[in-house]
Amino acid sequence: MKLFWKRANFKGHLLTAISYMIPIVCGAGFIIAIGMAFGGKSQDALVMGKFDFFQALATLGGKALGMLPVIIATGIAFSIAGKPGIAPGFVTGLAAVSISAGFIGGIVGGYIAGWFAFAVLRYFKVPQWAKGLMPTLIVPFLASIGSGLIMVYIIGTPVSWFTDWLTSLLNSMNGASNLIFGGVLGTLSIVDFGGPINKTVFAFALTLQAQGINGPVTALQLTNTATPIGFGFAFLVAKLIRKNIYTHEEVETLKSAVPMGVVNIVEGSIPIVMNDLVRGVVAAGLGGMCEGALLMSLTGGEGATVPFGGFLMLPTMGSNWWVGVLAIAVNIVVTGTVYALIKKDIPADELSASGSVAVEEQELDFDDVQVM
Amino acid sequence: MNIVGVSACTVGIAHTYMAQQKLEDAAKAVNDQVKIETQGTIGIENELTEQDINGADIVILAVDVKIAGEERFDGKKVVKVSTATAIKSPNKLIAKLHELAKQ
Repeated sequence: MKLFWKRANFKGHLLTAISYMIPIVCGAGFIIAIGMAFGGKSQDALVMGKFDFFQALATLGGKALGMLPVIIATGIAFSIAGKPGIAPGFVTGLAAVSISAGFIGGIVGGYIAGWFAFAVLRYFKVPQWAKGLMPTLIVPFLASIGSGLIMVYIIGTPVSWFTDWLTSLLNSMNGASNLIFGGVLGTLSIVDFGGPINKTVFAFALTLQAQGINGPVTALQLTNTATPIGFGFAFLVAKLIRKNIYTHEEVETLKSAVPMGVVNIVEGSIPIVMNDLVRGVVAAGLGGMCEGALLMSLTGGEGATVPFGGFLMLPTMGSNWWVGVLAIAVNIVVTGTVYALIKKDIPADELSASGSVAVEEQELDFDDVQVM
Repeated sequence: MNIVGVSACTVGIAHTYMAQQKLEDAAKAVNDQVKIETQGTIGIENELTEQDINGADIVILAVDVKIAGEERFDGKKVVKVSTATAIKSPNKLIAKLHELAKQ
């Protein structure tokens, strides 16, 4: 069973698709944000002479974001079957959009299309003279019609029910449940500093954003933005209470980790956390919890229209931009203060002992090593 | 020993390059020849040439996503890990590569 999961590599295919999707979401997200900020609304069709510049922008971005299920399905199918996966992934993704199965439909459809293409490639034998027809006609046709029809007649409807249910549930949440939901999201976003838990939450939050619920992804990314800055803030707090919490080497790391945080890259703080994993996670987790809870409850689940960008996300939050600023500030202060308080004082003679703390390296995870 | 490899992560702006750096440092520390190609969101950088690949004793792929040009390594001994493993335990990983290359 374990081998099956590893072979199927669900996560790897999803991550590949997300890696193709992020630039599209960021580009389109900023375009629609600018358009909507100046009163543009996404139109069904742009008829020459009947729209203004900002409606054009809003429509550009809106159309692109509406295609997210197609992009994710195509990405997953490509990851599974290579180039022959693109056509069936595209068709199935469009089928998911047509039947309102949304982003979740796109994900499921992508796997089906990819495996269909993979199976046709492997098990459908043709005579020598028809070899050229295989990539141009047989694989795209069989895999597209097979997975497309599965989407339309079998899984599309239940998935769209589920999507509707989830969307209305999250939309109907009030202050208290938003508070708790945000707290949990914020904590999960940061506990592994950009690792698998973070990526899973990211995929979930992106799913919701594709349905027009922007709060969760905003909570996640603002935590990722604030945490490295929080560790920098801890340095100042520690100085204030006359405590040494960082070695010289760690201070050097901070000099790059903090600017990386500003542009939404949390990973710069990993070397610091690795030196004191438990305390680092506690401080970051508490900060993330406060940030998420604050953001989700004050905005009522609203958020930025782009899923990435750190401080650059704030302008896309509309009238809620100040909540974003506040949430980041609270995250920084909580993480920084907690870390400065719970971290052990480093004796002066060990301050410059560079490397002595950092040489320790984790055991190699053999489960993760595949020899081919 | 002569090591070549590819690193690629999901967002393609941070882990990819951290994994490259860690692997190169760890390999150089034990006097190996090393070249790691990065496939970030910006595209392929530090691209491996056919010569690089032909001369390699082992190929290390530190990847979380599907990469371009995996077929270039057909016939080589290829080891695949996630970027997290390359970042967290680079030295032990290089030691493991030595062990595997000898087999």
